Amino acid sequence: MLKEKSGAVLVVGGGIAGMQAALDLANGGFFVYLAERSGAIGGSMTHWDKVFPSNECSL
Amino acid sequence: MNIEILTLTEVERVEGEVGDFVVTLRESPRYVDMDKCIACGECARVCPAESALESHGGIAPRKAAYLKYPQAVPLKYQIDPQICLYLREGRCGACEKVCPAGAIRFDDTSRIISLEVGSIILAPGFHPFDPSGIRTWGYGLFPHVIRSVDLEPMLSASGPSGGRLLRPGDGKKVRKIAFLQCVGSRDYNKASHGYCSSVCCMSALKEAMIAREQDPDLEVSIFFLDMRTFGKGFERTYERAREKGIRFYRCRVYSLEPSERNDGITFRYITDQGKQAEESFDLVVLSVGMEAHAGCRSLAERTGVELNGNGFAVTSSFAPTATSRPGIYACGTFSGPKDIPQSVVEGSAAAAAATMALMDVRYSRTRQKDFPLEEDTGIQEPRVGVFICHCGSNIAGVVDVADVADYAAGLPSVVHVERNLFTCSQDSQDAMRRTIREKSLNRVVVAACTPRTHEPLFRETLKASGLNENLFEMANIRNQGAWVHAACPEAATAKARDLVRMATAKAGLLEALPPVSVGVIPQALVIGGGVAGMVSALGLADQGFSVHLVEKSSQLGGNARHLSRTWKNESIPGFVEQCSRRIRDHEHITVHLKSTVIHAEGAVGHFRSTIRKHAGSTTVDHGVAVIATGGEAYKSDVYGYEHSQKVLTALEFDKLHLVGDERVRYGQSFVFIQCVGSREPARPYCSKVCCTHSIQSAIVLKEEDPSRSVYILYRDIRAYGQREELYKRARDLGVVFINYELHEKPNVLIQDDEVSVVVWDHVLHEPLRIPADVVILATAIVSNPDIADLARLYKIPVDADGFVQEAHAKLRPVDFATDGLFLAGLAHYPKPIEESVVQAQAAVARAVTVLSNGRILLDSVKARVNPATCDGCALCLDVCPYHAITLENVPGEEDRKIIAVHTARCKGCGACQATCPKDGVEVGGFTYRQLSAQVDAALNAIA
Amino acid sequence: MLFEPVILAFDCNWCSYAAADLAGIARLQYPPNLRIIRVMCSGMVHPNLVVEAFQKGADGVMVMGCHPGECHYVDGNEKARRRMAVVVEMLDAMGLEPERFRLVWCSSSEAERFAASVREMTETVRALGPSPYRVQKWSGL
Repeated sequence: MLKEKSGAVLVVGGGIAGMQAALDLANGGFFVYLAERSGAIGGSMTHWDKVFPSNECSL
Repeated sequence: MNIEILTLTEVERVEGEVGDFVVTLRESPRYVDMDKCIACGECARVCPAESALESHGGIAPRKAAYLKYPQAVPLKYQIDPQICLYLREGRCGACEKVCPAGAIRFDDTSRIISLEVGSIILAPGFHPFDPSGIRTWGYGLFPHVIRSVDLEPMLSASGPSGGRLLRPGDGKKVRKIAFLQCVGSRDYNKASHGYCSSVCCMSALKEAMIAREQDPDLEVSIFFLDMRTFGKGFERTYERAREKGIRFYRCRVYSLEPSERNDGITFRYITDQGKQAEESFDLVVLSVGMEAHAGCRSLAERTGVELNGNGFAVTSSFAPTATSRPGIYACGTFSGPKDIPQSVVEGSAAAAAATMALMDVRYSRTRQKDFPLEEDTGIQEPRVGVFICHCGSNIAGVVDVADVADYAAGLPSVVHVERNLFTCSQDSQDAMRRTIREKSLNRVVVAACTPRTHEPLFRETLKASGLNENLFEMANIRNQGAWVHAACPEAATAKARDLVRMATAKAGLLEALPPVSVGVIPQALVIGGGVAGMVSALGLADQGFSVHLVEKSSQLGGNARHLSRTWKNESIPGFVEQCSRRIRDHEHITVHLKSTVIHAEGAVGHFRSTIRKHAGSTTVDHGVAVIATGGEAYKSDVYGYEHSQKVLTALEFDKLHLVGDERVRYGQSFVFIQCVGSREPARPYCSKVCCTHSIQSAIVLKEEDPSRSVYILYRDIRAYGQREELYKRARDLGVVFINYELHEKPNVLIQDDEVSVVVWDHVLHEPLRIPADVVILATAIVSNPDIADLARLYKIPVDADGFVQEAHAKLRPVDFATDGLFLAGLAHYPKPIEESVVQAQAAVARAVTVLSNGRILLDSVKARVNPATCDGCALCLDVCPYHAITLENVPGEEDRKIIAVHTARCKGCGACQATCPKDGVEVGGFTYRQLSAQVDAALNAIA
Repeated sequence: MLFEPVILAFDCNWCSYAAADLAGIARLQYPPNLRIIRVMCSGMVHPNLVVEAFQKGADGVMVMGCHPGECHYVDGNEKARRRMAVVVEMLDAMGLEPERFRLVWCSSSEAERFAASVREMTETVRALGPSPYRVQKWSGL
């Protein structure tokens, strides 16, 4: 049976790992759904902005 | 555009299989309309409901209507139904009344979403360990005990005390602070975890150093079991902390008590001399580890992914992001404790792994925008349109926007001025597009918020109107105006007039900048045929790109050919053999053995490298390159290495063990000496793999014959993450661990054929002499010396230890600063095989973001030469960090040279422009004339 | 009359400009005497531009970049620091106090640091009084 593949990927979790995955997927030609439990992405990183100040991860 | 963010959303279930999953998700209500919310914060300002809530960074009061953090993405408020008075009791509704955008939606409900996706990546993150209720730590019982996550905001300069370390509760200045490591980690007591959390040593060091910087008189003590500063640059930080006078005590603290008069915390500990001591501290910080949260477990259950006993996803060393369910991948702390760079690496690696099976449907779901042809504005006189945003009342509530609009109308070149309630709203954008057309505007100024968040939106509107996107300028009259001068509306209005005048002056000089793009050759060069190089090459080839793999020696495999088992006990030779075979058979891979790269030129999209093999050479054109040149074992005549057949390096020992050499087979006493060549002044870094390697070997020796004596002489056991379980197992098997310090290293005595090791015994406080049948030296990993030549060829930076330097230690761990070049493996830093594999997969994902595009669009802010004024003095060549400027002959003028800018390499930083004494080079969009016009406009009205 | 200094700042897009934005989000209040010119990097600011600002009557000029080691473009901020040493010398030749010029490192999260530096600079320059170039402009010379 020939199945139709989907060119989309679901990423669960909008922390630093999930965001990096989402960015690389989208820039590599895939549509990304980024599902985040809370009201905004950023994850634990947002609590440590003292050391990693640049907001380079924002989409 | 190709990422859809679904907030407040959780997975309910996953059906189907790799290639075509159907995922059901539930989106909880936000009670704020995302399309309407303009993040002005009025709702939070008037919200009367506040609650102290446990959040990641400690307990902080929060309103019911709130923004998760100031730079949240998406920048939209939300209402917490647990706190909101209206949602709980049906009264209040204050936010709804003040919201200028009408975005509050109390009738919002949850929604079920169904998605079809080809693969799934899980990255649910972690929670800090909660030490509450454990009497030993006193957290929650004594006010002067806090967690490391609570200290972070207290030290922040933007925090409540302005960075001064004041004790919570009584606000007393902290003079003595103690950090207790391994809280909730490396502890088999109830509620704690056996594994090492891998990050807390660094976070304690970081916080200790920041606290000391802010107050040099602060006494800081760190109580630890092993200082695990195993990552790149970490050991140096540890050394610096010691030099700065931070005190370190190697002991577990068992019980905290309030001091007399309740003025601090007192506890007992063991000093370096083995004496009992008791000391009081103003503040005790618990370095809490990380743990999988409840959401991780439920996510695993709902997606059908297997977790181990620690609550982390089960993965293998050779497919580090693959979970137990095909098509579902794990990254970040979901598969074990790890730090930021390793999480970023895994995020990229998961992206590569998740798309291996989907390469034939690449671009099937992504969209690209089409824009009308650009109008040629080059010869037109500037016709500037100024759009002034009220931002509801955010700007208009302070700044007299009508006055600013009147003022703007009188400025030179301004032909249109209008005010909008929200310039960024969709209807305002539609109207702007029409106005640009109708009034033939060729420059647009928006006076509103900040270009950092909104410039892209307005630029899209310009493009949609047929204008070049660079003919746009913003005046930041909200973030840098109304919001910061709320108490002085007149001054804020005057400043807004100035900012509009400055923006308009610059706008008049803006030019259309051509979009810069380069064609990409869909082929990669991978340098180095070890594990990192092989995995990179296979990954890229599996993604459909052709690869040239260059290896200096006569076979593939690199250092991995000398290794037998991963720490998870997987067979390394099997993996290496499988990789080599797949590479040999792969239609997309060309292997160049006994070859080296001798010449390189070009930039991202199109490099050209020359590979030499014997006498001949080949030239390869490629869009990207992966540098995976590896490392090698450090060798030196220490500990009698060259004087006895019984003193071996770890790799030599492994080999002899494998072939059943008598020394090993019949040996009864084995002594491992750690940190041979590592963590010394000449090589002030940790080689990361040796502790685990020695422990593995020790376990095997003990398992083969429990009557053997096995000693490991170490400085700190760095069995980080879940490797800690091996350390425990070795201790349970009776392996003897003896700590030594750098200044009192063990002595290896060789007499005739007898070898013994003398080390200081910290329990008995006397020298201990251990007769040894075999001494195994855990030697350092050093960088491959060939990297120096490659660094010169590709202009990549190398650090003081000879390892290549990534673009950003935390956020871009596999990229070089130069676009199109990526790194993996030991060339970057010592690491175990599973980390080389994951880094190589990450390099694949990063490289694919370049290779999968026929052309890549570069930022059009670029340097360019002004041929009329450049006299070829070449001062700018040296300051360019990207080597993007060269000196070229001027055609037809024999004696004259001027500079040329390699546009693909240039990133528009303007170092050249600021260096040029003759205005001979400038950066489009930020030219000297444009900046000067802003200066002039700022000052021409002063009196 | 009360003297209100005019201070110009060249702010790096990646750090101090972002910190200024964050100061707004946090509703930090600072004197309205600053006019920011956004640049991509502090290393992009030509010393002549700073001198020009003084000649045109600025009472103070700030160049604000990323902390050492955090430059978006490798080491533009280090270049700025070396270059701006020249500015200090030129100020002397122009008869201006060195305090009128300041180089500030400020990360994108350091809104309070940003605001504090603006407050300090404003007070410093206010105490120095108007720049002689501005006085010249007043008197129409």
